[in-house]
Amino acid sequence: MEKQNERDTCCERPRMEDCLSKKIEITVSEAEKRTGRNAMNMQETYTAYLIETRAVESQNEGQCSPVDSLWRRYSEFELLRNYLLVIYPHIVVPPLPEKRADFVWHKLSADNMDPDFVERRRIGLENFLLRVASHPVLCQDNIFYSFLTQEGGWKEMVNETGFQLKADSRLKALNATFRVKNPDKRFTELKHYSDELQSVISHLLRVRARVADRLYGVYKVHGNYGRVFSEWSAIEKEMGDGLQSAGHHMDVYAASIDDILEEEEHYADQLKEYLFYAEALRAVCRKHELMQYDLEMAAQDLTSKKQQCEELATGTVRTFSLKGMTSKLFGQETPEQREAKIKVLEEQIQEGEEQLKSKNLEGRDFVKSAWADIERFKEQKNHDLKEALISYAVMQISMCKKGIQVWTNAKECFSKM
Amino acid sequence: MSGGAAGAPKPLPSSGPKSLREMPHPLATSSSEEMGPALTPSPDLLLPRSIADKDLSLPNGTPVDTSSPASSSSLLNRLQLDDDLDGETRDLFVTVDDPKKHVCTMETYITYRVTTKTTRAEFDLPEYSVRRRYQDFDWLRNKLEESQPTHLIPPLPEKFVVKGVVDRFSEEFVETRRKALDKFLKRITDHPVLSFNEHFNVFLTAKDLNAYKKQGMALLSKMGESVKYVTGGYKLRSRPLEFAAIGEYLDTFSLKLGTIDRIAQRIIKEQLEYLVELREYGPVYSTWGGLEVELAEPLEGVSACIGNCCTALEELSEDMSEDFLPVLREYILYSESMKNVLKKRDQVQAEYEAKLEAVALKKEERPKVPTDVEKCQDRVECFNADLKADMERWQNNKRQDFRQLLMGMADKNIQYYEKCLTAWESIIPLLQDKPETK
Repeated sequence: MEKQNERDTCCERPRMEDCLSKKIEITVSEAEKRTGRNAMNMQETYTAYLIETRAVESQNEGQCSPVDSLWRRYSEFELLRNYLLVIYPHIVVPPLPEKRADFVWHKLSADNMDPDFVERRRIGLENFLLRVASHPVLCQDNIFYSFLTQEGGWKEMVNETGFQLKADSRLKALNATFRVKNPDKRFTELKHYSDELQSVISHLLRVRARVADRLYGVYKVHGNYGRVFSEWSAIEKEMGDGLQSAGHHMDVYAASIDDILEEEEHYADQLKEYLFYAEALRAVCRKHELMQYDLEMAAQDLTSKKQQCEELATGTVRTFSLKGMTSKLFGQETPEQREAKIKVLEEQIQEGEEQLKSKNLEGRDFVKSAWADIERFKEQKNHDLKEALISYAVMQISMCKKGIQVWTNAKECFSKM
Repeated sequence: MSGGAAGAPKPLPSSGPKSLREMPHPLATSSSEEMGPALTPSPDLLLPRSIADKDLSLPNGTPVDTSSPASSSSLLNRLQLDDDLDGETRDLFVTVDDPKKHVCTMETYITYRVTTKTTRAEFDLPEYSVRRRYQDFDWLRNKLEESQPTHLIPPLPEKFVVKGVVDRFSEEFVETRRKALDKFLKRITDHPVLSFNEHFNVFLTAKDLNAYKKQGMALLSKMGESVKYVTGGYKLRSRPLEFAAIGEYLDTFSLKLGTIDRIAQRIIKEQLEYLVELREYGPVYSTWGGLEVELAEPLEGVSACIGNCCTALEELSEDMSEDFLPVLREYILYSESMKNVLKKRDQVQAEYEAKLEAVALKKEERPKVPTDVEKCQDRVECFNADLKADMERWQNNKRQDFRQLLMGMADKNIQYYEKCLTAWESIIPLLQDKPETK
């Protein structure tokens, strides 16, 4: 079930061999409808998913290791992911499958309770867990491990980490711009790329849904031939048999589209994963932007404080300030007052310099580790999307072959007319 | 070719340079030997006045159809087997091609070249090439209906096209029409009675058809006249079962064809709408490819592939429009005209029955049956016989035509899928390609 073959390129300490996915087998094996009471004590219906884990090693020895399992609902997955986003801002965190059915074509249901939708979501959630488990950094996280293994009290455990406090609310304001003076060109380009990627995949998914709709129509109308050929064959002598059996093949043709389009939904899901991945990528760029902004603001603040200090020390006013003016108008401060001020400022400057140092360090660390993960992500993306395109081509080939088969059969029947 | 050549395939008596007069009559002893026992005409057809009226004929030897039920030509019609219509015994070939647009002060129209190759005596030359327009075909059909009312005349493509909706001068429309006109003439050519019709001969050969058209009415056949003068108002007592069955068959048949026509149109419509979406779909992959580095080629490949499928689909829809739908419509028109012939037959029978009844009521001298009642009886029997024979031929042709039509439809779909298959298969190696270290 492991589908990624990441090369061990730029990961520093964590290595592929340490990845959780190598040690335990993870599946989301079932989905179940539940009713319960929500936070406001109102009855609600939701779907719960069964997560099963089993140690890999003992399997190799031929022993059947025990399966651990627990139930989780979608909102818990969301909580896990939000936690990971905050704690690992430099990582492109794998996305969850969509919350509500989107990009549907008419035959598909947009209902969250629809069995097909639930089934595809189950697969998507399993995929999410596998992605996290095979990520060299994320798989080491305790909260993640507990998510898989500890049914009770997990929510409390997550909240106790206090991750919500670390969350930068500014990250949520997606469209707000922060004027960064020295942006890192690579991140700017990457952000631009993620925007474009989101846009193009959305477009693709929308059109694909329309294409599916139309194709469905073409196939289904052919079913009408089945009926009319049957009726016509009733009044014919020699032609009757050929018409009748050809009509049967038309029915087969019309029915074949259901399976074909169901398979295509898997392809659409693969595209959707990367649509959401683009968002995760953007989040990393955004985080960097904010860090850079904070850094610049801190540097700016430090500079102005130093300036202030200098002015007070030398008595020269280089920059206009209202305070300076008022003090000139209403008399200068006493030397003691000035000294006090200078001292305060010097302390602040010291603090500020230390802060700036650590911020710079933080920034450099962030860039290094973020870029490592981005490279890992790029390779994963190229590999996965190539596989997706190949499977799409294979689906199309299969559809063509089925078409040839049916029409060849029909032609044979017509030849016997 | 008179008797003697045993074993050699016997051509129709009318082939070769000799005129019909010199040919042995099919009922003559020598010919019947060669024809074999199966084809010996039954006694009731050997009526004294059934020999071809050689007095009535055009200068070039073409016989005028007589009203006699067992005239040589109608006899041929009934004796003709489909097997005779192979390359060896065929002596008349007609083709319609080479459409050309003519722009005149009064109007713009299309003419088609009608080429004839023949060894028949009724034709002065072995080859003819004339130009005809739709009007001329329409004239021919009307003349055939008038002069051969007991036969099924093939249909023409629709006369009127809604201006503005269809471009009368577009390549597709002209080609579709040409095919239909070609089919029309071929069907007449294959008919053992209609192909000898004098109007058909003139249509194929005359340099100035319009002059002939003006002469017009003089050579209307006696049978044509007699049927024409049958006024409605005679009530049919009972329709013979077989003709009732034919009528019912034609009703259901044209109904089913109408349904198939609607389904085919709907499929074409759905396919075109699918095509519209595909045309937007393909380029998006290309746009995406522009954003990527390693995925650029694969995505571009998928885009091109979808483009190829679009082209294939376009071709399929066009083919169905141009080749499939017109033939369906032709058969619907055919059914309509056939039902009219059935009605005429009913009328002829009704007239006969009415006259017979009138005589019976008069209680005249028994032995002598009045000649005009006899004539009516002849007409009925002749009509029935011709119609039966034509129906059989029509059924066979219909079977072959639909077999070909439906196999053609299946073929076009197979070709469409094969084109798409090739496109997608060719891109698999491209997608699987490992990139060189960049």
